[in-house]
Amino acid sequence: MYFVKRFLAMFLTVWIIATLTFIVMKFIPGDPFATDADVFPEEVLENLRAAYNLDKPVPVQYFLYMKDLVTFDLGTSIVSNTRSVNQIIGDGLPASAILGLLSMAIAIFFGVILGVIAALNHNKAIDHISMVIAIIGISIPNFILAPLLIKYFAVDWRILPVASWGTWQHTILPALALSTTPLAVVARYMRSSMLDVMNQNYMKTAEAKGLSTYRLVVQHGIRNAILPIITFIGPLFVSLITGTFVIEKIFAIPGMGRYFVDSIFNRDYPVIMGTTVFYSLILVVTLFLIDMSYRFIDPRIKLTSKGG
Amino acid sequence: MKKWMLLFILLLSVSTVLGACGGDKEGEMGEDGKGVNQEITLNIKTEPPSLDPGLSTDTTSAWVLDHVFEGLYTTDEDGNPILGAAESVDVSEGGAVHTFTIRDDANWTDGTPVTAADFEYAWKRVLNPEVGSRFAFYLYYIKGAEEYNTGNGTVEEVGVEAVDEKTLKVTLNAPLGYFDKLLTMWTYYPVKKELVEGNKDWSTDPETYISNGPFKMTKWAHDSEIVIEKNKDYYDESTVKLNKVTFKMVNEATTFYQMYKTGELDLISTLPTDVLEAERDSDEYLVVPRYGTYMYIFNVTKEPFTNAKVRKAFSLSVNRDLVVDNINKAGEIPAYGMVPPGVATPDGDFREVGGKHFEEDADEAKKLLAEGMKEEGWDTLPQVELLYTTSEGNKKIAEAVQEMIKKNLDIDLKLVNQESKTQLATVNQGNFQMSRMGWVGTFVDPVINLDYFLGGSPNNRTGWVNDEYDSLLEQSKIEQDDKKRYDLLHQAEAVLMEDMPFIPMYYNSNTYLTSPKLENVAYYVNRQPFLKWAEKVK
Repeated sequence: MYFVKRFLAMFLTVWIIATLTFIVMKFIPGDPFATDADVFPEEVLENLRAAYNLDKPVPVQYFLYMKDLVTFDLGTSIVSNTRSVNQIIGDGLPASAILGLLSMAIAIFFGVILGVIAALNHNKAIDHISMVIAIIGISIPNFILAPLLIKYFAVDWRILPVASWGTWQHTILPALALSTTPLAVVARYMRSSMLDVMNQNYMKTAEAKGLSTYRLVVQHGIRNAILPIITFIGPLFVSLITGTFVIEKIFAIPGMGRYFVDSIFNRDYPVIMGTTVFYSLILVVTLFLIDMSYRFIDPRIKLTSKGG
Repeated sequence: MKKWMLLFILLLSVSTVLGACGGDKEGEMGEDGKGVNQEITLNIKTEPPSLDPGLSTDTTSAWVLDHVFEGLYTTDEDGNPILGAAESVDVSEGGAVHTFTIRDDANWTDGTPVTAADFEYAWKRVLNPEVGSRFAFYLYYIKGAEEYNTGNGTVEEVGVEAVDEKTLKVTLNAPLGYFDKLLTMWTYYPVKKELVEGNKDWSTDPETYISNGPFKMTKWAHDSEIVIEKNKDYYDESTVKLNKVTFKMVNEATTFYQMYKTGELDLISTLPTDVLEAERDSDEYLVVPRYGTYMYIFNVTKEPFTNAKVRKAFSLSVNRDLVVDNINKAGEIPAYGMVPPGVATPDGDFREVGGKHFEEDADEAKKLLAEGMKEEGWDTLPQVELLYTTSEGNKKIAEAVQEMIKKNLDIDLKLVNQESKTQLATVNQGNFQMSRMGWVGTFVDPVINLDYFLGGSPNNRTGWVNDEYDSLLEQSKIEQDDKKRYDLLHQAEAVLMEDMPFIPMYYNSNTYLTSPKLENVAYYVNRQPFLKWAEKVK
């Protein structure tokens, strides 16, 4: 029953987000067809507005949009009048997703290791060094880090290409630049969570049983300590795989990150709606799956409405 | 570095051996007779919004389109219109009917001949109101075109007719002195009917893309790169040296500059200001005037700019050299008129013939302001707001103008910035006193610049309407004698500058870095670099 409720709530959430976005979008001043370069005669503008249903009253536009949305038809971009929003997302998502998954793998792998090492050496020098690294990671914005990486790896040492897309070499620098902040966040979460777990009675019992350090840390410690990280991974996953504006711009990645921002500047209504709906859809689905997964990761959590 | 070279040579020799075994692979390696790999990579910065010539409206798309398509007219190395897909043209007595003969050897990339019907179909498609082409109005010179496009006429009444396979008859509303220039524009390119009607996504996929220019598109990785290759079916195929051109889409200035420096790009444009300093003296650096004007328009229906003397006082107070030399630094030219340099006329460059329409003069400005205020009976001026589009460059210029106006006229300008679409909405509503605007000519003729201020032009947001000005431009459009036509345009510009509904600031420029390995690139004042004659030399 809980499952069904959560499932329905998911669609309700997407519908509310879509509706709010639609309303807010219509309140932004400016016309998608306005340009200071070439101004079209009124008749041409009328033809254009008609082609995008913009000549109809706003409530009618809303219902037409929702009707298409149900069939996953996100419309045609106004800026690129030959490409549909579905094509834009379809073309951009793979590059964004590859980078996102790669940087997430780096962030989680090294973040967990750094956090655990810090926790095991609580209040010792290693702990302090790890946390200083983490704080640097959080505080250096990736638009500073990215040009530095390019300067050294691509321009000075000529090991990797400056930018663009196509081979695995092109993924390394952007993935690194993208991973530092989440890496640092994961490390800090992991450290505090691990410290918490190590003070639990079951850890003391396990230690008293004479388990090896490896089994103690990995099987009992990390497995329990990683739960809070999973909560945090959901939204991180969604934001990373849908691309980031800054990194994609600096490295000329053909991802979809730019469309979240550019579409608003261009008043490209179908793209604003399409990217927002797409983002919220995968966000709610991911959160749903993570909720469901707790049950398997931690048997203590029961999928009942009371527990939810 | 040496190890890489060794590896490269090794790979090269292996592939040559393999190539030799496989037969005539040599040609596909992209080398010319001298062993230079005729492949280059340049940066177009962003994804072209549309590669359908009938729907495209921007210079990025035009950059690619100009290479893969060709109209009845094309441009020579200096940017002058010359016959392209048409081999001859016959203009009727009076100049309204143009009869074009399409070349026998003009072919599509699928090998079929380009016909007059292809042009007829393409133009009528642009005018079809249901297609919603934004540049349809560039075809309004054709008889019946505006009526059809605005729903007041039928397609049969449009003055374009394929008389036979190779003969295209075009009837204009009136003779047009610059029709040849207009015909080089992408909106006038032909498209294949079977292609366009058979597949609405034809223009987004290189597999289905058919064109008729010096190059053909072979790859389009959206938001990443477009690859074009030499079109072997092009009639002037022997002129084209490059086998392959890759257009990268790198928008971040620092990034594309570094890609140029590491050799990943052979040609970059629109250099960032900090790079200009470093590259100014390099042989690879080039400044090309751009056929556009950076300006501040006045709202002549709002005080204090209802008074022409006040408007002039503002314009005379601005030190344009300072803006160009110390802020932009990209070789722009200070503007004292509307029409930028670059128009060749029988008497020389239009701008040089027209000269400066005014001189900067702080004392004269003060005098004009006082006179203007007296005429209107004002003791003080109302608060004046200067509106500009949010950007670092616009901001610096606006601040400099604020300083100059304060210093020379003792007026406190209030600066307001708005994000571009909002600014346009504000200006379109007439909700401004003075605002930054820009205008770049789609083709190189003074008409396109001066039309901006026509009383009925949707571009003219100043509220300034002058019958004499409108009438001079009207006359210039039907004048068949070039000398007289330019004379009328000079007169029109003089009328405009006398009333000064705007402050011309400077004529735009474009800056380039071109690899020394790349030669014979044609740089134009209103189009992107053209590679028809380009060649790699090392």
